[in-house]
Amino acid sequence: MTDADMASPVGDTDAILEFRGVTKSFGGRAPAVRHFTLSVPRGQLVVLIGPSGCGKTTTLRMVNRLIEPTDGSIWLEGRNYKSYNPVELRRRLGYVIQRIGLMPHLTIGDNIAFVLRLLGQAPQARRARASELLEMVGLDPAEYLDRYPTELSGGQQQRIGVLRALAHDPDIILMDEPFGALDPLMREQLQEEFKRLLRTVSKTIVFVTHDMDEALSMADVIVLMKDGAIVQVAPPEEMLRHPADEFVASFMGRHRVLRQASEVSVADVMIASPVMTPEASGLARSLELMRRRRVNSLLVHDAGGHYVGVVRQSELQDHIEAGDQSPVGSLADRTADTLAPSDSGLTAMHQLLSHQQLDSLPVLDADDRIVGLVTRGTLVGLLGDALRVAADVQEIRAEAASAPAGEVAR
Amino acid sequence: MTLFLHTYQFFTQHPGTIWRHTLQQLYLVAIPLAAAILVAVPLTMLATRVRRLYGPVMGFANAMQTIPSLALLALMIAIGLGIGVLPAVLALFLYALMPIVRNTYVGIMGVDPGVKDAARGMGVTSWQLLWMVEMPLALHVIIAGIRSALVATIGFATLASLIGAGGLGSLIMEGMGLASNSIVLAGTIPAIVLAFLAEGLMSRVERVLTPRGLRV
Repeated sequence: MTDADMASPVGDTDAILEFRGVTKSFGGRAPAVRHFTLSVPRGQLVVLIGPSGCGKTTTLRMVNRLIEPTDGSIWLEGRNYKSYNPVELRRRLGYVIQRIGLMPHLTIGDNIAFVLRLLGQAPQARRARASELLEMVGLDPAEYLDRYPTELSGGQQQRIGVLRALAHDPDIILMDEPFGALDPLMREQLQEEFKRLLRTVSKTIVFVTHDMDEALSMADVIVLMKDGAIVQVAPPEEMLRHPADEFVASFMGRHRVLRQASEVSVADVMIASPVMTPEASGLARSLELMRRRRVNSLLVHDAGGHYVGVVRQSELQDHIEAGDQSPVGSLADRTADTLAPSDSGLTAMHQLLSHQQLDSLPVLDADDRIVGLVTRGTLVGLLGDALRVAADVQEIRAEAASAPAGEVAR
Repeated sequence: MTLFLHTYQFFTQHPGTIWRHTLQQLYLVAIPLAAAILVAVPLTMLATRVRRLYGPVMGFANAMQTIPSLALLALMIAIGLGIGVLPAVLALFLYALMPIVRNTYVGIMGVDPGVKDAARGMGVTSWQLLWMVEMPLALHVIIAGIRSALVATIGFATLASLIGAGGLGSLIMEGMGLASNSIVLAGTIPAIVLAFLAEGLMSRVERVLTPRGLRV
């Protein structure tokens, strides 16, 4: 029995959405989705994740019949998908896509209420609903209702894209990498906002992503797919702790909670894209970069990506006030220790803790190129994970202790 | 100087003639163009749904515009339609198809696939997709095609007098026959004015029909 079978007993009455042996093949090629069986309980956020081409988007698009399954069936609220007219079915679901797809010729208000228009609601009612939704995400209806999508930033546009999927209050919302095209800061902001939104409106969500950070932060259940088939279905915590196989483990990558801190390498925990600046950059620009990214030090690199040193905010500020015009490279300090990706987490912890004035250590490869950064924050997280695992181990021992005496005796 | 004077005199002495020819010119343009729009737009829309139609439709329209206009007129006679308004209208109609077919296709196929996917996912029927999404977004491109068809048709229509369809072209021919430059100008000036008016009008229409959200 696979995990998929265990997690999704066929005929689960609690399920609002059920896939039963769904297979999709395009032409003569290997099936894009193979025997996909899953049941989604009402109110859950299920994330489909996997490498590109694993069939996650195809699976999603079969739910609203933009793609027809070759074999198997999908059940929505206890009814076979075939009993719904495709158009009628789609109007019952919410749909958010990575390309956003707002209608450029319609106002924000009309975009949000698009499905309501398809459903034949009166213009005033549609406008009222659009206002209500804008208010829910803290956008002023007076300002936004009559503007056009092109006048909005990408992040704002996708906010509208999400509201549009909520307008007709569907029970199920399908989201295909909804935040994938946004920059990391905006993505995180929209994820948080969306999670907040979900606390006020209870929805069942099928969410496709290839970003494990996103999956871990959003999912109630993660469905990891590979080559069209389910590899593992589990809540985030469980998937982190008990990956079903090597593939899952490697896909979770640096997110895996390792059992002992000594097993963790610096590469596992480091911030892989630290805030950096070229040495030729100006002081004011560097300071601006720090403010924008909310960091208090910057790694300085040369044209070849080699580590030059680190520059701190206070220093930078002093020099700007003194009217210094030199590039940021001249302030870079190289005296502090550095780490290699293969160093253990313990080494990193030791070095950081023994230098009180250090907040972070750069991670350099063999050629002196910057590959990451380890901060005190990272290590606290690592420590936290280690403690949690330790607590789990204790719990397991406690359970074992309350089990039949014969087994514990050994 | 005398030329202008003579031309002016011709205009003031024969306003009826000029009006009549201008009017003839107008429907020599309006009828074929209207017919071309009515045929080309729906047919091309169908071709965006049934892709294998596009090749033959575009191929035919292209061929019609590639044939030299004079040859196209002569062809009408050769295929037995004779001379007069009917063969001229048919030739002009065939000539006007291409820009409309091309722009309708490009306009509709050019609608952002993301927008179409979102619309389908929200449950538009294929008619609604056409009317609520594709048409509004493609309209200004289609109008641009009609605009170039119109300008081409006005130019071509002056040739239609060669097969006896009347219009401003017949004034020009007459003037040339009589070696009277003033009569030639009496035909050319209204033809030029007409072309510029049409161009100006259509560019306005194009602007008005561009959805506000698409204007830059």
